[in-house]
Amino acid sequence: MRYNLMLAWHGLRRFPRSTVLAVLTVAMGLAATMTTLALLHQLTADPLPGRSSHLYLAWVDTVHAKPQQNQSLNEITVENYHRIKLGDARELLHDHRAAWQAAMASVFTELTGDGEQPRHARDYVLATTGEFMPLLGVSLRSGRGWTPAEDAAHTPLVVIDSEMAQHLYGTTDVLGRDLKLGHGVFRIIGVSVPFRPQPHFYELAAFGFGDRRRDEAFVPLSALLDAGVDLAGSDGCDEDAPKQKTLFGTDAIHCASLSYWVDLPDRRQAADFLAYLQHYAENQTSLAGYGKPAHAELTGVGTWLSKQNVVPDNVRLNAWLAGSFLLLCMANVAGLLAARFLRRGAEIGVRRALGAPRRAIFQQHVFEASMICLIGGALALPLTLFGLWTLRLQDSGFTDLARLDPAMFAALFLLALVVGVVTGWLPAWRASRVEPGLQVKSA
Amino acid sequence: MSLSIMLKVLRRHALMPTLVLLQVALACAILCNVLFLVWQRVQPMVAPSGLAENELVLVDQIASRVRPWTGAEVRAGQLALSRTPGIRSASAALGLPMISMMMIDYTLQSPRGVKVGVNGYFGEGLVTSLGLQLIAGRDFLPAEYRDFGVNQSSSAVPGTASPEPIIITQSLARQLFGDQPAVGQMLKVPDEPDGHGYQVIGVVRHLMRNQLSLATDGRADNTLLAAKRIGDTAMVGYAVRIDPAMREVAMRGIRDTIKREFGPLMAEDIQAKIDTYAERRHEALTSARAALWLFAGVTLAVIVVTAIGIMGLTGFWVQRRTRQIGIQRALGARRGQVMRYFMVENLLIAGAGVMVGMALAYVANGVLMHYYELPRLPWNYMPIGGVVVLLLGQLAVLAPARRAAEVPPVVATRSI
Repeated sequence: MRYNLMLAWHGLRRFPRSTVLAVLTVAMGLAATMTTLALLHQLTADPLPGRSSHLYLAWVDTVHAKPQQNQSLNEITVENYHRIKLGDARELLHDHRAAWQAAMASVFTELTGDGEQPRHARDYVLATTGEFMPLLGVSLRSGRGWTPAEDAAHTPLVVIDSEMAQHLYGTTDVLGRDLKLGHGVFRIIGVSVPFRPQPHFYELAAFGFGDRRRDEAFVPLSALLDAGVDLAGSDGCDEDAPKQKTLFGTDAIHCASLSYWVDLPDRRQAADFLAYLQHYAENQTSLAGYGKPAHAELTGVGTWLSKQNVVPDNVRLNAWLAGSFLLLCMANVAGLLAARFLRRGAEIGVRRALGAPRRAIFQQHVFEASMICLIGGALALPLTLFGLWTLRLQDSGFTDLARLDPAMFAALFLLALVVGVVTGWLPAWRASRVEPGLQVKSA
Repeated sequence: MSLSIMLKVLRRHALMPTLVLLQVALACAILCNVLFLVWQRVQPMVAPSGLAENELVLVDQIASRVRPWTGAEVRAGQLALSRTPGIRSASAALGLPMISMMMIDYTLQSPRGVKVGVNGYFGEGLVTSLGLQLIAGRDFLPAEYRDFGVNQSSSAVPGTASPEPIIITQSLARQLFGDQPAVGQMLKVPDEPDGHGYQVIGVVRHLMRNQLSLATDGRADNTLLAAKRIGDTAMVGYAVRIDPAMREVAMRGIRDTIKREFGPLMAEDIQAKIDTYAERRHEALTSARAALWLFAGVTLAVIVVTAIGIMGLTGFWVQRRTRQIGIQRALGARRGQVMRYFMVENLLIAGAGVMVGMALAYVANGVLMHYYELPRLPWNYMPIGGVVVLLLGQLAVLAPARRAAEVPPVVATRSI
């Protein structure tokens, strides 16, 4: 085998021009594929590893309105209505049928620190309920979260993330200080580690990828509503609501404006919870007369992300394109290799005549092919980095995620090796079929 | 030399032709699909907008921090803008060309039952402000405009008692009514069969829709203007037609006017965007352009790789048969004949490859269509892709074939 490796290495150097050509071709194919796969890999990564498999978005349709008609020939579909009204959220929280559960809405608002010359920031805060920490896996650096009793009492408390604390107060040691939100003053009881799952899946209003988008503080929903901060955005409002609906103003009582996430550790519990939700929907007597069937849904994180088309179709399409380009490159290299192997038919004949088994010839040539592809893989690495760099330049909101992590780095070389073996197979097989006698004669 | 002999030769040494065939098939399949994707991206770029592009300035994202703008404020802004020096006309508008921030979605149904998805634009005097060319009927009368705003649009407000007047484009008129004159025709909303529907009162030559992803396959002009005056709204935009000779003055005037009229109540985090049409168009087509560059790169790479592959393989193929070629030459075959032999042989192999490739392209498109929102690959892309690949094959085989033709007859006498 060492001998075959050596022969393969010699073979490479014998025809430097075709070797360079083959290496370049393989490198191009590999780089194109890896660039698109790396982006896809980043975009489809689990937003909360270990946790998202048992997180579900719970939804009951209790909006007092006729079912939405959404016949549009413009490919605009408005069927992913998955938020609920405040009243329902309170009922579900009170029943407490899941392991952990929280209602939430991500709100863009102004945050103001305390002191003589308070610093401001305008950013997102997550209006939520007490169990969000174990539910989403938000971890604290210091302090504590709030209790259901404090939720119920509308106590103005806030958990702020360490980066925002640094920005507003110049320190992360901010427990007990005040934060102004809306017209309320909230006491800081906890400092959290920045929480930035990619994508920002748990709240729909501000959905997407990117470092810029994350919730900077966590506030009790009830207290934030008391402070006059609007939830901004809903999936529909009661027709019999006393207040006229406005485009941006949202009345949480009458508008479906909260995402309700639950943690259900296994399938049986998920089934039970769905049955409970359906039962809850069926008991909504106030919905009679709107012509709606009782409707409840429980959506897992994976299903939810694919339903929302989180990964742009373009990215997948490009991956397919790159993959087929790699196939083309492989066919090309197979051709180059076949030509090169058969050109040395005489040598192979001599080796065979001297007693080398077919297997040895085959092995030598597969080695040669693999070497070419591995060198191609090494060359593809800078090319891939270049490709990712150009992707980042394009900036379409998610492209700053285009990076190569160690797993993809390993995948690149594995792919190169596989490509080498697959590509070399046919030419090597053909080379090993060379009849010793004929070749020796004609040499 | 007859075709059957050529085929026999190919069958005897099947490896080389098979590899060439494989490459051609893959290249053909990729190119068919890429060509199609390119055309999908190019169509919105080349569609006529119907606007006075050189005179148009678009203002949008005027967002209020505290409460929706009232209809009076919106109209005051319109008035102030139209009185600014260098400005010919201004209209408050919801939905503007090349701005996808707000899209107004209509589905129209003609008396013949044709249903078309349409984007609408709302605003008073848009025909003038956008510089549209009316080719039939008339513009809206001032009395025909109805207020449209957050409160007016809520379901509490009863609908109008008569059909709503609309202006449509020529292309839309043809789709809905065929050769009949469109002006005066009635249209229905499919979801509301007993509603009052719409009446066409005018037709403009072109008006590009702002849902650019749908501006393909003859749908770029599926647009209508509705007789709606902007009422109270949280977010408003303006279409401003300027005098191109006074561009600088007008742009400054617009900026100052917007600041004066809306500044005090405007949200800090959202800046009003004031751009010429050309700038907005450039911005709206950024991703399409990026995709085009990508596809151009793919096409180039595919062509280079395939050409190299064919050249390399045929070169080797020629080299292997040097002796046979010499014999043929010695027996009286002319250079041109030898060359033609290799060209025809390549045509044969590439032709088979193209057949396989077209089938592959069709299947691949079917698969992609199943998983992604992609239209079906039209038949006419296949022959185009096929011809491109065949030509490529012929070009690539030129050099090796010439080398074969250069083989001197004397080779035949050597080493036998």
